[in-house]
Order: sequence, then structure tokens, then C-alpha cells
Amino acid sequence: MTSIGTGYDLSNSVFSPDGRNFQVEYAVKAVENGGTAIGIRCKDGVVLGLEKLVSSKLLKKDANKRISTVDRNMGVVYSGLQPDGKHFVSRARDEASSWRSTYKAPIPVSSLANRMGSYVQAYTLYNSVRPFGITAIIGGYDAETELSVDGAVGSGPKSGSGGKTKGAKEGGPYLYMIEPSGTYWGYYGAASGKGRQAAKSELEKLKLDPKDGECISLEEGVKEAARIIYVAHEDNKDKDFELELTWVSSVAGPTKGRHEEVPKALREEAEKLAKKSMEGDEDDEEEEKMEE
Amino acid sequence: MNHLPQAWGRPRDDIYGAYDHSYLPQTHANTHPTTHTQSPVVTGTSVLGLKFKDGVVLAADNLASYGSLARFTDVKRLKPFNRKAVVGFGGDVSDMQYLDRLLNSLDVQENYSGAATTEEDDGEAPAATADGEGGEDKHKAILDAKNLHTYLSKVLYKRRSDFNPLWNAILVAGLTTPPPPAPSTSTSSPKDTTTSKPTGPAPSRKPIPYLAYADLLGTTYSSPTLATGFGAHLAVPIMRRAVPDEAAAAKLSREEAVEIVKKCMKVLFYRDARSMNEYSLCVIDGKGVDLQENIKLEGESWAFAEGIKGYGTQTV
Amino acid sequence: MFRNNYDNDSVTFSPQGRIFQVEYAQEAVKQGSVVVGIVSKTHAVLAALKRNAEELSSYQKKIIPIDTHYGIALAGLASDARVLSNFMKQQSLASRLTYDRPIPLSEITSRIGDRAQTNTQHYGKRPYGVGLLIAGVDQKGPHLFEFQPSGVTQEMVACGIGARSQMARTYLERNLDEFEGSSREELIKHALRALKDSLAQDKELTIENTSLGVAGVDENFKMYEGQEIANWLETTFERPEGGEGEGMEVDS
Repeated sequence: MTSIGTGYDLSNSVFSPDGRNFQVEYAVKAVENGGTAIGIRCKDGVVLGLEKLVSSKLLKKDANKRISTVDRNMGVVYSGLQPDGKHFVSRARDEASSWRSTYKAPIPVSSLANRMGSYVQAYTLYNSVRPFGITAIIGGYDAETELSVDGAVGSGPKSGSGGKTKGAKEGGPYLYMIEPSGTYWGYYGAASGKGRQAAKSELEKLKLDPKDGECISLEEGVKEAARIIYVAHEDNKDKDFELELTWVSSVAGPTKGRHEEVPKALREEAEKLAKKSMEGDEDDEEEEKMEE
Repeated sequence: MNHLPQAWGRPRDDIYGAYDHSYLPQTHANTHPTTHTQSPVVTGTSVLGLKFKDGVVLAADNLASYGSLARFTDVKRLKPFNRKAVVGFGGDVSDMQYLDRLLNSLDVQENYSGAATTEEDDGEAPAATADGEGGEDKHKAILDAKNLHTYLSKVLYKRRSDFNPLWNAILVAGLTTPPPPAPSTSTSSPKDTTTSKPTGPAPSRKPIPYLAYADLLGTTYSSPTLATGFGAHLAVPIMRRAVPDEAAAAKLSREEAVEIVKKCMKVLFYRDARSMNEYSLCVIDGKGVDLQENIKLEGESWAFAEGIKGYGTQTV
Repeated sequence: MFRNNYDNDSVTFSPQGRIFQVEYAQEAVKQGSVVVGIVSKTHAVLAALKRNAEELSSYQKKIIPIDTHYGIALAGLASDARVLSNFMKQQSLASRLTYDRPIPLSEITSRIGDRAQTNTQHYGKRPYGVGLLIAGVDQKGPHLFEFQPSGVTQEMVACGIGARSQMARTYLERNLDEFEGSSREELIKHALRALKDSLAQDKELTIENTSLGVAGVDENFKMYEGQEIANWLETTFERPEGGEGEGMEVDS
């Protein structure tokens, strides 16, 4: 059934006779026009990457960061409308902060995804608002080591179990993606935006599912993320872009449990490898043609 | 006659009958007046602060007392905020925890652009990247000690104005960047625009030591030597002997400053009954924050007490 | 009356995922007279072309100093800019009061961006009809930000918005590499030349219709108008009489 001309697509929160909310589907269209964003959940951390399309030569280079920190151990990247993304991030920060004031500890990634999923979904319920024109990818690292309660002053009892289960393992790297409908899933590798199809097929080639044995490492993840963004940019070659990469590891890892920008040296290396692999592909294609 | 606070200013029941609350708004009817913390419960004692030529020394012991009971002996009262600011808390420990959480959330907020910050802007960059002697301040954009002191004093003043004070006396120590020498609006009058004079990069201003006090009343002051609580009586005179003014502080070395503070901590342990012989000591300078949390008092000797007469069970 | 069914309000996406009301608001910016902004390593400059309603009326306000360290230039609905500038002034004062710190420009820009975004997501509100250039110096150095009615905010090296501003942007793009190392005076000249490029053929920059705003490291934001900018206009655009420029001045 077509949406246009029926009138069912003119207002949010209205179902069409076949049970669709067209305004949400149109919001998805806004996302599909945006630069590609990806997230990779690696063995020892999460990498977020973004193909940031450069709309003008007058923009300041390396400013205008789009991947945001929500809490110390968590980051968000999004495709779609920049102002909607900023709103989303601002709400996520409020959620993380209010969680801290209630529980005196950082919010787990799954809980943040849940709360933000509910928030985004609420914008599909009323005709007085429009849905978010973004798809957001949340990546973070829930601490595995026991964290002290925020504001603790002593070290607590020196003996006794303290109600903990011995040997119970918790925490680790987590990755979620939230769509304009409010739907969210956990992912090993997630992609959104214009080049998501190409990015997805690249992500599927990586070893990310723990069931298939050892996953790729964080550092490999960074290089793959750079490469995948370059692959995803192929369809959009006429536009310039800047590569943005952030990562988060465990407290023992390179970022010390924090969500940070990938250090310049590593990013440049990853970018160089990405460019090289692109050239390689082209050569292959040419060779193939030659053979033909 | 009823002397309880909720009866103050009201007609006496024994003459006029029970007070009729019915006309009052529901929130006020039949309730006690709102009360807030009237006194601290678990408390920490003095915090000491001393400026030296390129930084500040801060010290506080690790004791939290419940009245006269030495209740907790591993309480850390010096809280680093970032590489430029440390806060030392005296007074109520639960209010200190509240303020610590407040500072924690402020730090998270300040680092939101953290993913976007380059390494040199990061408030908690490794000390290796910091060049203590270098003229240029690589961390000029982070909240410094002065910003933090302003913020905390506003929080304290707000709470006291709500009749709900945070029962603390605090010292904020660290570094701050002095304001430009003279606030100039225009460097060139329209006349000399013809001579296009190149304006080079601004003379980078070096951060200077900063030390200030704020308390539950919202009172603030600053001095090269500061102490809260008993320390204001017992330690400040000792510190002032060595550092009477800013000029003296500007000549003091780090080692000398630490030595003076350690001496004061000893005097305080001898004379302040709510203190203990284990303490935290922190030095903040251009290289960052150096915090030691389990220093034992050295050369402890009670021999001097032999000579003191007139207390306790002694019969002279 | 409407071009299509999807442009009645700012809470309706078109089938292509566009929000027409927001796009129309961007058009309002293009109706306003041109403003230009540039930053160097040490300075941030705003230049604006002021219009007057008629010969005998005063000229409009295009540059608004907000705090001692920065100011804004506007293109579009001036009354919307006034609402935003009042908000910015309040926020800037709050930062000085609470932290004794001049508000970082990225911070204040993002706050008005967030405010504008709300207007594009809720029924009964309209997007702001104004574009702003926010220029000044904070603890991280000189900055220039662009603000659009959609809530998009971007940090720029140079920027021009308003009527015929494409010509100004072309000038800026052509001279992009020179800005970073420019001195204060050179930067002002670049801004004036960019502004001039977007004027209609028969128009000139005069002391009546031009405004400048300058901030630098250790130099507070200040607006220059009228006689104060005469010399800059004179030296930037050497008139055809060029050589006898000095003589001309004696005459006046």
C-alpha cells in the first residue's frame, strides 16, 4: 500500500489500515540520508566509527565532533539529523547522571539502551511531536572489576562476603542500536546511515560472535572500523568526509575504562591501511577486467 | 505551657483550646515545621593548606569521629578533582560524600567533550605529558581551582540560605590562570589602522598556585596559609611563622612546604583529641596532583606530656 | 495555499525524510542582509551589512555583543535573534557567577542549538527564523560558530550567511589558507572584502551601513561602527582616486 495521498502519513501516532506508522518510516528516510555510523563489539572493548560528511570547505578541520561521551565509559554515535542527535545525547547524559544519583554507580549499557529506547518510542506516540530523525549506536564498557560506590570514603568491611557471589563474572563490552521507532537490539556489529548495507556485509565477515571462537581485538576493531567506513563511503564518493573514531576498553585496557577518541597515531595508521585496502580492491577489479 | 518549637508563636492551648489547623494549606496542617540538619554527626577534623613557589600542599588526617568516638579510621578527606584542583573537607562526612558526588557529576559533565578532547586538553592526562616548567599551559581549558572554589562556595551559600547547610569547612587548592594584566578593549584606535601591526600570539600566562577556604555559611577567604577547624587555631600560627605573606610563599620550596605541613599535622595529633596519626598529604603543582593517602606520623613521642600538669586524674 | 501536505508544521516528515517548515525557516535567513565571520590564530572578526528601511530611518542592528569575550552577528528575523541573545546573555552571566569563568563558546552555541531543536520537534512551535554567527575568544582560543534555524551548529574557520552570501563564501573559500596566520588588521580587511563581494553592483560599503565586531586573545569583544571604521574602509578599498587618497581626506 502506498503511503502518499492517503492522509495516513500526515500525522504522527496514526496507524494506516495495514498497521503502519508512516511518520516513523519517513523518519527512517532522514536517517538513510545521513553519513554512515558503525559500532563494533570486540573481545576487549567497543569501537565507534563515523563517516562525517563535510558540507563546506569553511568548516574547521577536526572540530565538530559528532561521537559523544554520555558517561565516562560510554559513547554514542548517530546517523541522521544532527540536532536530533544532540537532543538524544543530552537526554542520554541526563539518564546516566540520574542513574548515578540513584544508584551511586555508572549506568549499565543495557539499561541506558532500554531507557533511551523508551524515550525515542515516546516520540512515536503523540501527534504533538515528531519521531527522532536518527538511528543511534550506543557503545560502552560495563566495569568487570568491582567499583567502589560513588562518594565512598572508606574501604568497607575487611572481612565477610558482603552479599557477593563468588566467581560471578559481570561487565564487559556492550553495543546497542536504537532506531526512530524506539526499537533497539544488542549487536556484535551495527551500522546505520547511507552506507549501512555495504558496512553490514563487511561487518558480517568479521569474527565478532563469541560462538565462533575468539573475537577480534580492539585494535583490529579500530582498523576494521576505519576500513568499513571507507568501503561504505564508496557509494557516496563525490562528497568529502572526515573519519571519526572512538573506543572504550576495560579499566585494564588502553582507554582505562573510558570512552575516548582513538589516539591520533593509531587513527592515522588505521586510515592509511583503509586507503591502501581500497586501492587494492580497485587494482583487483582492474586485474579481473584485464583477465576478462 | 508547651515549649516545643511547633507551638512557638501560636495561641496557648490551655487558654484558647487546641489550635485549629484546618485553614492552613494541606502541606502545613498538623505537621511539624520543616527541620534540617541541626548539627553534624560523623565528622572529620582539620584540613591544612600551604602555598609554595610552584604549587600548594594540602593535608588532612584519615579519621571520621562519631562524637568523641574514633568511628572510622580509613576515611580519605582529600578529593582530587582534576590535575589542577583538589578539595579538602572538614566537618560532616555524609555531606562531604554528597559534595564528592556533586563534584563527580561535574567532572563527568566537564568531560562530555572528552571524547572530543584531544589528549592535551584532557583533565586527567598522564603526568608525563605535562611540562611543569614550560611556559605554556596545555590544560588551560579545564575547570581550575579558582573555578571550583567559586562553584563550591555558591553551593554552600545556597544551602545555608535554604536553612539546610552542608556542614563542612573546605579548602580548595591547586592552580589558576591569572587574568590578563589590563583588560583592554581595543589595541588600536581607528587612526593607526593604516599601519597594519601584526598581533603575535598572546603571551601565554603561566598558572599560579591557588588556595582558598569556604564553609557552611558560604564564607570565603584566601591566604597563603589556611586551615579549617582546630587547625585554624593550632596550625596556622606555625605555618605563618614560616610563610607570613605571599612573597614568602613565592620563595618556599616544595620540600620545605611539605616539612612545615608535616610538623603541623604532628602538633594537631598531639593537641586535637579528634585526630589520628595517619593522614593524607597532597601536593598540587604544574606536574599535576601527587596524593599520598596513608602517611604515618613520624617520630611520635609523648615524652613531652610528662611535664604537663593539671589534667585528668593527676593529683599534682 | 500550501505547496504540499507535508509543510504545514515542523512535526511532519515528508516521505523523503525532510522537514519543510525547517527548510522554509532557513529561507528567512537568506532574506536577511549578509554577515561574515572569520577567525585567525589570535582573533575573531565579524562584519555585517546593515539595511535601513528608508532614507531617513536608522539602520538595523546586526551585531550584538553578548559577553566581554564574544558577540554574535545575525541574519534573518531580528526579534528571534533578540530572544536568543537575551538567553545567551543570561547563560553567560550564570557561568561567570557560578564558576567565575567566561562561558566556552562551544558550550553556549550548543545550548542555543538545543533550544532551537526543541522548536523543530514539538507541535505549536515554529523554528527560529534566524541564523547566527557566534565569534569570540575563550580559554581554548578564538572561535567562530554558525547557528542555523534547524538547530545545526558548526565550528567554522570562516562563514557568511544572509542574502547573496554565496559571493562572500566564494571569497572566503578562495582565501581560506591565509586566515590562520593573518594579523588583526588583515583579518578585518578580509572580512570587509568578503562582505563587499556579496553586495549588489550599485552598492558600496559605507560607515553608515557597515558594522564590525572584533575579539582577540587578551582583547575583549568590541563592536565598531560609524566613524570608527572609516579608516578600515578607506585602506581596504582603495578608491579609484587611489593615489590621491590622502588629499581626499583633507577635503572632508
